[in-house]
Amino acid sequence: MKIPIRIIGIATSVFWIFLIIFSVSALYSIKDIKLEFGEPQISLTSGDRVLFSFPIAIANKGYYNLADLNVSTEILSEQNQPIAWGHSFIPIISKGEALNTTHNIELNLTELLQRSPRLMFNDTELGINRTVSMRAAEVIPIQVSSNNSMPWGAPLYNFTLGTPEFAAIVSPGSTARYRVIVPMSFENHAFFDLTGTVQGRMYNNTNMLIGEDQVVIEARQSSSYHGSLEFYVPATDLTIGGHFEVLFAAPFFNYGPLVVPYGE
Amino acid sequence: MVSETNSNSKGKLRKIVSRALKATMKGVILYVVYFVLMQFIAPVSEFIPDFQQMVEIFVTVYISLVIVTELISGTIFQHFLNTAKAFCIIVYVMFLLRTGIFGLTVGNMSLTVDIRLFLVLAMLMGLLGLAKSVMQAINYVNERAEITSI
Repeated sequence: MKIPIRIIGIATSVFWIFLIIFSVSALYSIKDIKLEFGEPQISLTSGDRVLFSFPIAIANKGYYNLADLNVSTEILSEQNQPIAWGHSFIPIISKGEALNTTHNIELNLTELLQRSPRLMFNDTELGINRTVSMRAAEVIPIQVSSNNSMPWGAPLYNFTLGTPEFAAIVSPGSTARYRVIVPMSFENHAFFDLTGTVQGRMYNNTNMLIGEDQVVIEARQSSSYHGSLEFYVPATDLTIGGHFEVLFAAPFFNYGPLVVPYGE
Repeated sequence: MVSETNSNSKGKLRKIVSRALKATMKGVILYVVYFVLMQFIAPVSEFIPDFQQMVEIFVTVYISLVIVTELISGTIFQHFLNTAKAFCIIVYVMFLLRTGIFGLTVGNMSLTVDIRLFLVLAMLMGLLGLAKSVMQAINYVNERAEITSI
């Protein structure tokens, strides 16, 4: 009986020593894991998508390997609905290894702007949920999650149609017409240059379409746009009040009609 | 007759002193081991609330049991206390296992560390220790029974 007891005693002591040394050194190693996210690089991909590439620098200066490093990011709309997400997975990072990689998130701008047209005209903050999980020493699951926000700049911030200016065009032998010039301005706060077309339709107060125009717009990132829409309207159809309909068409989005009343 | 009694009491005193010394040594060694290990765990324990307190309580109870066990070694009570030590480990681990996942939230960031695997291993070893204590107790009673019958 004494020998089995002694063997159990020795085995227990050995296991305890191993467990204590391993757990203490593994927990101690956690503080030597460095994970840094750099500033995102924004680029455009085919299919109207925006690609956010976050450079990640990982340095494992601990005593053990890191396994199953998983970085996932979710971008949330104002209504806290996920609008874009990205995952990066690194199966193993050996001890003493420093690794640089990129974490990509694709954002479908067309879908986003169709779902939240407010984002076209208003600057706001989009939520970012980021989760980093890994297995320290290949056995201890660790998870770090953070909630941040990123600024969203509206491509058509402060879009305004000014007061229409009417100028009579009188040509002998034809019906009298008016040239209506409507000043149009906005600021491009978005992270991309905006190129596209604006189509304007002019209606009188009986909802009759009386004039149409289309202009090409080009506004670089963080710049203002000032232009105008021009309509040629028969004098007989013109009323004191009415409304304009504005339709936007750009590589990333189509939006409209935006109804802007005039003269009332 | 008087000299026999004197040598008996001297022998008992020597036994008690040697047990006390052994108990003190074991207590000091365990405390030094705990102290050294805590230096390593200190950075982690800053992030886990109440971690240090939990470890301290366990170490205090365990060292006390080790000292008392040593003082009463050679009696059946030693085995009772050995069993109590093993139970102490199991109960402590079970208490920790209720959570086993330590979380910390700082501002908008939260950290979660899952150490349940270690706790399960520690519990299994606690069970092994318990089995050993029971076997030692049985062995002790056996030997005593053999001596009595002889």
